[in-house]
Amino acid sequence: MALIEKVPVYAEKIPGGSIVTTTLERVLSYGRATSLWYLLFGTACCAIELMCTGASRYDFDRLGMIFRASPRQSDLIIVAGTITKKMAPRLRRLYDQMAEPRYVIAMGGCTIKGGPFYYDSYAVEKGVDHIIPVDVHIPGCPPRPESLLEGCIHLQEKIKKQKLGDWHKKVRSYDQG
Amino acid sequence: MTRDDLKDYIASHFGDKLTALDTGRYDPLYELKAEHLVEVARALRDDENLKFDFLCNIGAVDTTEHFEAVYNLASTTKRLRLDFKVIMSHDNPEIDSVIDIWPGANWHEREMWELFGINIRNHPNLTRFLLPDEWDQGFPMRKDWDAPDFIRMPEPET
Amino acid sequence: MSKLHTEEFVVNMGPHHPSTHGVCRLMLTMDGERVVKIEPVIGYLHRAIEKMCENRTYVQCIPLMDRFEYVTSMSADMVFSLATEHLAEVEVPERAQYLRVIMLELNRIASHLIFYGVTAMDIGALTPFLYGLREREKIIDLFEMTCGNRLTYNYIRPGGVSKDIPPEFVPQCREVIKLIRSKLIDYEGLLNENPIWLARNKGVGVMPPELGISYGVSGPVLRASGVEYDIRRDDPYCIYDRFDFDVAVRHNGDCYDRYLVRLDEIKQSCRIIEQALDGLPEGEFKVKKINPFTFKPPAGETYARIENSRGEMGCYLVSDGTNKPFRVKLRGGSFNQLQALPYFGTGGLIADVVAIFASIDVILPEVDR
Repeated sequence: MALIEKVPVYAEKIPGGSIVTTTLERVLSYGRATSLWYLLFGTACCAIELMCTGASRYDFDRLGMIFRASPRQSDLIIVAGTITKKMAPRLRRLYDQMAEPRYVIAMGGCTIKGGPFYYDSYAVEKGVDHIIPVDVHIPGCPPRPESLLEGCIHLQEKIKKQKLGDWHKKVRSYDQG
Repeated sequence: MTRDDLKDYIASHFGDKLTALDTGRYDPLYELKAEHLVEVARALRDDENLKFDFLCNIGAVDTTEHFEAVYNLASTTKRLRLDFKVIMSHDNPEIDSVIDIWPGANWHEREMWELFGINIRNHPNLTRFLLPDEWDQGFPMRKDWDAPDFIRMPEPET
Repeated sequence: MSKLHTEEFVVNMGPHHPSTHGVCRLMLTMDGERVVKIEPVIGYLHRAIEKMCENRTYVQCIPLMDRFEYVTSMSADMVFSLATEHLAEVEVPERAQYLRVIMLELNRIASHLIFYGVTAMDIGALTPFLYGLREREKIIDLFEMTCGNRLTYNYIRPGGVSKDIPPEFVPQCREVIKLIRSKLIDYEGLLNENPIWLARNKGVGVMPPELGISYGVSGPVLRASGVEYDIRRDDPYCIYDRFDFDVAVRHNGDCYDRYLVRLDEIKQSCRIIEQALDGLPEGEFKVKKINPFTFKPPAGETYARIENSRGEMGCYLVSDGTNKPFRVKLRGGSFNQLQALPYFGTGGLIADVVAIFASIDVILPEVDR
């Protein structure tokens, strides 16, 4: 059990302690959700739509999201594009290098179940779910920038509802299951 | 030189080595025996009236009886096009490399080896490059290839 | 004093890098600060498109061609449709030919605008990225009005195009061309005489023309070295012989010339589009007798080639008389350019390798398929 999962257990024993934990949760999750810095990871066609979403007409910066080139400085990875069997270990390594808590958006049909490359392709990893744990899936081939913005807003809502220690429980259940 | 002139020129100068297969459509197609490949390719590139200095593409085809390697050529100065193919046996396909004549054939030939299993003689670097490093499931572009996790599209129910 | 013992070491510009356009890995052997050898490692985006085409009907292959070259997917659809039409010997109606030319040239402008934005971003200038993509959005609006998609259009089919243009397309297209012409003056003013841009690009990565021809390099990269070879003029397809345009050529062969050639090509494409819009006839937009489900071209083989914004794009198609292609071999311009990179990209610093790689404008699915 991580240290942060033990805090609510002890805080509830003190009278009035839950007020401290809920306020702490709200502040931390608000801070995480509104300032997600994403890793530039685009392999194929969805990368062009990701670039367009970060450009002039549909702006990512208004959601607080800035691109970073290094995984050590980012807390969101938007997997945009097909992941092949040769690329899969590199994706896992990039995910492992990110600082916790980290979130994943799987963008496009190829990352959900292989997309148009499900049938007759011998080199495509059919879905990114069995490499890294995914928070939000965005369907489309490629998804419009408005879909990507909606997916990011869904992720922000999901993060704002998280309680202390939820993130660690989720990752542990993924690694075991 | 128009396409008919090209046809006559090839027939007069290379008639014994290049057999015409289909010269009526957009790109004239010839067949070449594997043992004459390097000398004919060099002659086509160096000939003053043809100057085929641009190798567009080398494609390999697996008809189930034999393998074919098709070379598509173009000339940057003379506005000409030519295709020729070399036929190899199915059991032990082997061909010479044309890398001394057109260095751009390097990666095309590596891909032919990796995906079809055609052995290229005199190639400096026949290593894996498109498939994952730990690939051990054979030559995927052959028509009789199969693997346990290869999902084929089902035929539509009519 | 004895000489210091030095040895060479290998730096890996890995598959995930903000400057490799896609997932390309470059292993750089360095001697101190200078790059001595470059070895590209590819295959991280090999999706087996050629194998998939063998189990799909001809019209079902068109969406796969879109994903083969997604920045200029009109060209990718075009080369496959051209090969199919050569085999089936169908005559495409006039209106469809004109629409194809308009869409291909608009797509060329959109691709060069992405090149402009992304190359400047690699060198370090972030403003041109926002300007280039802002203008590209206007072109994408035109495409969306016609075929419904922003990136993978699925529009040019064997026998014609899939839909006719709506009536508001022509006036809006003229507005967009006027806007792009006026914005090009801004783009040139921003970068052409900029001392940092000149210092990073002038004299860097010079490619001799003989090297380019022997490695099969084509497109703007070859034309920047002085070779005047353009398939639209030398081996014309699809009524390009009716339009009046110049072939953009420069003579130094360095990164700065490759950038200038592409800006010149945008101007020439605007000329072609205006001529095509003036001459657009009425009529059918596709051949009626091609039924997508039962279309069976006669057995044979052909090689079709077109001039893409990255060079020569080719499709070698073999048909055995059934409704599915027997073998499709695709050839993209980036394949040969990446092959030639180790021979003209060495001798500089790592920052020069970034500038050269950005200027040859490689797209990885063309290389890996």
